[in-house]
Amino acid sequence: MRLLVLLALAAAAPFAAAQAWPARPIRLVVPYAPGGPLDISARLISAKLQESLGQAVVPDNRPGAGGNIGVDLVAKSPPDGYTLVISAIATLAINPSLYSALPYDPIHDLRHVTLLVQVPNVLIVSNDLPAKNVQELIALARSRPGKLDFGSGSTGSTGHLAGEMFKMMTGTFMVHIPYKGSAPAMADMMAGRINLMFDNLASALPNIKAGKVRALATTTRTRSSFLPDLPTLDEAGLKGFDMTTWWGVSAPAKTPQPVVDRLSTEILKAMDSPDLKERLHNMGSDAPAIRTPDQFAAFVAAELKTYTELVKRSGAKAD
Amino acid sequence: MGMKIKSQQDFWAGLMFIAFGLFFVVFSVGTPEFLDNLLGTRLIHGYQMGSAVRMGPAYFPVMLGGLLAVLGAIVLVDSLVEEGPAIAAFHFRPLIFIAISSLAFAYLLKPLGLVVASVALVFISAYGGHEFKWKEVAIVSAVLVVGSVLVFVKGLLLPFPVCPDFINNCPIR
Amino acid sequence: MDGIWHNLGIGFIEVFKLQPVTMWGMTLQHVPFNIIMCLIGVFLGTLIGVLPGIGPVATIAMLLPVTFSLSPIAALIMLAGIYYGAQYGGSTTAILVNIPGESSSVVTCLDGYQMARQGRAGPALATAALGSFFAGCVSTLVVAMFAPPLAEVALKFGPAEYFSLMVLGLVSAVVLAHGSLIKAIAMVILGLLLGLVGTDVNSGVLRFAFGISELADGIGFVTVAMGMFGICEIIANLEQKEQREVFTKSVGRLMPTKEDFRRMIAPVLRGTALGSALGILPGGGALLASFGAYTLEKKISKYSHEFGKGAIEGVAAPESANNAGAQTSFIPLLTLGIPSNAVMALMIGAMMIQGIAPGPQVMTERPQLFWGMIASMWVGNLMLVILNLPLIGIWIKLLTVPYRILYPSILLFMAIGVFSISNQPFDCFLMACFGLLGYVCAKLGCEPAPLILGFILGPLMEENLRRAMLLSRGDPWVFISPSKPISMGFLIAAIALLVIIALPTLRAKREEAFAAEDT
Repeated sequence: MRLLVLLALAAAAPFAAAQAWPARPIRLVVPYAPGGPLDISARLISAKLQESLGQAVVPDNRPGAGGNIGVDLVAKSPPDGYTLVISAIATLAINPSLYSALPYDPIHDLRHVTLLVQVPNVLIVSNDLPAKNVQELIALARSRPGKLDFGSGSTGSTGHLAGEMFKMMTGTFMVHIPYKGSAPAMADMMAGRINLMFDNLASALPNIKAGKVRALATTTRTRSSFLPDLPTLDEAGLKGFDMTTWWGVSAPAKTPQPVVDRLSTEILKAMDSPDLKERLHNMGSDAPAIRTPDQFAAFVAAELKTYTELVKRSGAKAD
Repeated sequence: MGMKIKSQQDFWAGLMFIAFGLFFVVFSVGTPEFLDNLLGTRLIHGYQMGSAVRMGPAYFPVMLGGLLAVLGAIVLVDSLVEEGPAIAAFHFRPLIFIAISSLAFAYLLKPLGLVVASVALVFISAYGGHEFKWKEVAIVSAVLVVGSVLVFVKGLLLPFPVCPDFINNCPIR
Repeated sequence: MDGIWHNLGIGFIEVFKLQPVTMWGMTLQHVPFNIIMCLIGVFLGTLIGVLPGIGPVATIAMLLPVTFSLSPIAALIMLAGIYYGAQYGGSTTAILVNIPGESSSVVTCLDGYQMARQGRAGPALATAALGSFFAGCVSTLVVAMFAPPLAEVALKFGPAEYFSLMVLGLVSAVVLAHGSLIKAIAMVILGLLLGLVGTDVNSGVLRFAFGISELADGIGFVTVAMGMFGICEIIANLEQKEQREVFTKSVGRLMPTKEDFRRMIAPVLRGTALGSALGILPGGGALLASFGAYTLEKKISKYSHEFGKGAIEGVAAPESANNAGAQTSFIPLLTLGIPSNAVMALMIGAMMIQGIAPGPQVMTERPQLFWGMIASMWVGNLMLVILNLPLIGIWIKLLTVPYRILYPSILLFMAIGVFSISNQPFDCFLMACFGLLGYVCAKLGCEPAPLILGFILGPLMEENLRRAMLLSRGDPWVFISPSKPISMGFLIAAIALLVIIALPTLRAKREEAFAAEDT
């Protein structure tokens, strides 16, 4: 009898521990410098989670190496539910093939909890480029191989890889001009020094609306609610083109399932709350369709596959 | 033939510049082939040079490193010709103590907290000075510790641990 | 012109608006909330500017969540106040302890600190405050009147123009040194090389990091500045045979003399003009302005022999330039939505959270926001000068503390500041290394200021050089082609400046050679 009770207790122990979670403040590692959109969304979520979890959620900025330092730190942290990280397309899907030796494995070292934000990119061209839609752009690029320049926020960024994907699917050759961040690239585009770029919709929207640059298409399968008249690249003939910039929350791989489930529920609740929903919407995100941790994990695996292939074909390298 | 060093400062400055220049050149371009063949492996990889048209990551550092080495050589030669000042004596004591105190602070902060790290820094750096009066230094460090905790941890909300790791319930958080 | 007064009216009304405020369960009516936020901002900014190592970027980032609950205008007024408040505070540390709080305060260290050592800290600080105030007022007027056309000018600067401007800037950096010309050039180049450590923008390759992941994003300016200016200075002071007080006990008057005022007028005017012009250029504009102003003064002043030893022009000009630059650096943000520096990038974040998309239409769609910010800059500058002038008395008192107590305190604040960069011990270790480097360089008669300027400008220069070459498909003549008059102009100016600098040295050598021949 005593043995049975002991066994039952032993079996219940992990659940008991999970029920007690969170018993102390949770650290949310942000692998980027303060102030960027990922950092801001981390702070927004932390504030909301504090209310529902009853414990402080503390953002901890650990910038460096394109986000790898922060993610690696959490991948190697104890899987007790007290250390989380903001993981993004760069650190999960692109960097594994961009860097020759990544210290963590995005599939096996991490448990993906919730997708927070999915932002479409948009193909924009300079006003003095004689191309009013995607077809004209493709024709122009084909007639002037190597003459058009496309800018991006950095080598290996989604803007860069979107451009590479575009080149591959249309069979064109354009020169990639990397910048430190997409804002200087946008500036050069407004001045007409570079011809086109793929930029994140939220950042580009004001200049599109003001007529300083011309938007040709979005990179997602479905049209964006911000620019409902803008066709998608998929519609314009590049079948299957579906690239977004995304980020979410992940935890170390062996974090117990109940903790992950509770986290997921709370984060989703926070994201659905009206004020957070509005703020995330202001950043260009329509609420993602991917909700559960399993859906997220499947999504990550699919993205990893796509981008590994793309990075290899484009020849981009970080070291 | 002895060459007399007319300007000690310039002589060593020249050497320093040459050393830095060569350092950057070698690490940009990598070890030359004959050296690799001698040793069997590639010692230093270096980066792509590219061309003047499409500069690789090694291009700019190599040019600058080379220029630096050349300037260093000019300064060196000049030191044998022109009169210049001698190098003032090195005083190792302040240098070492100040350096150690910063390192002590940095590496003690996480494990032992702000209080211990600050006290270490103040004591070690004060020891590197001319006068060291125990009571005075103790008072100064107490004031500084209290001030720092108030301004930096409470005021500016910097995420520094105040108490050492092994103390579980720190009164100040 | 009528439009301007109307718009400024909107702005000031917004800033002085009385609003009901609910706090701690009480609701107070008629609170000038925006003014209070401005005051909090400039006060905080001054505080963190004075503390070595902690800068506006980290502070603003930490305060971003607080801004969620504020109205957009209040949030931006406070954050802006922190930014230019930090400029004022940074000058204070530069003058008092030879540590540049911001990159644009590096030049203030040169003469400001010397003035402090001569017991003239009061006049130095007052000059900085007054010059900054004048520059702030004028450049805010510039922003109000010329923001959109200036933004267009800024857009005309492409990579070729930036590169040429930086070449000109680096040549002026050489003028900063008062020792050997060749060693100054070598220090600039060494600084350039050290600035290249980290990830290369154009290729994504990690350079000179030797597997140290903390170096992936390069060496930070703060680390180098603390090491080469701060630590080095402390060690140098401790080296004196007997403990002489670093700052003369006979601390003089608080205010500048009549003579000082007379001498500072023209430099302040020139600095303001240069700062207003260069501040609009994203990336390094304000920095270039401050030491461009210094170089200009050194070359044309009849007291140029005093530069480096405590010339008041050497404080007045760069301080006016960097504050003017700080105000005009808002132009690309407010008119085009493009950040000029890391702080502006944070402001964009703050705006986006509030649902304001920064871009050309902010001015037309939200005039209260735009003009309210501009009006708040005036108010902020006024508050800063009122705040800082009486503080001078306190700072001077602080300098009379015996050095043996002062320097551990300075060292502690420096260490805390550097550590807080990324909460890793490595940065302090790097700071110690740069302290050692600075110490060795000082012994060898090489000056740190040219190095640090090369350090900041180096990566920018390379980035723009390679980008210009990429865009021109490898045509090196793009920098001096007639289709790029701005670029050509800067390069010609750079060459001219180099000749002017080298001329005295060459002439001296010729005379020496002749003299040697005669004997």
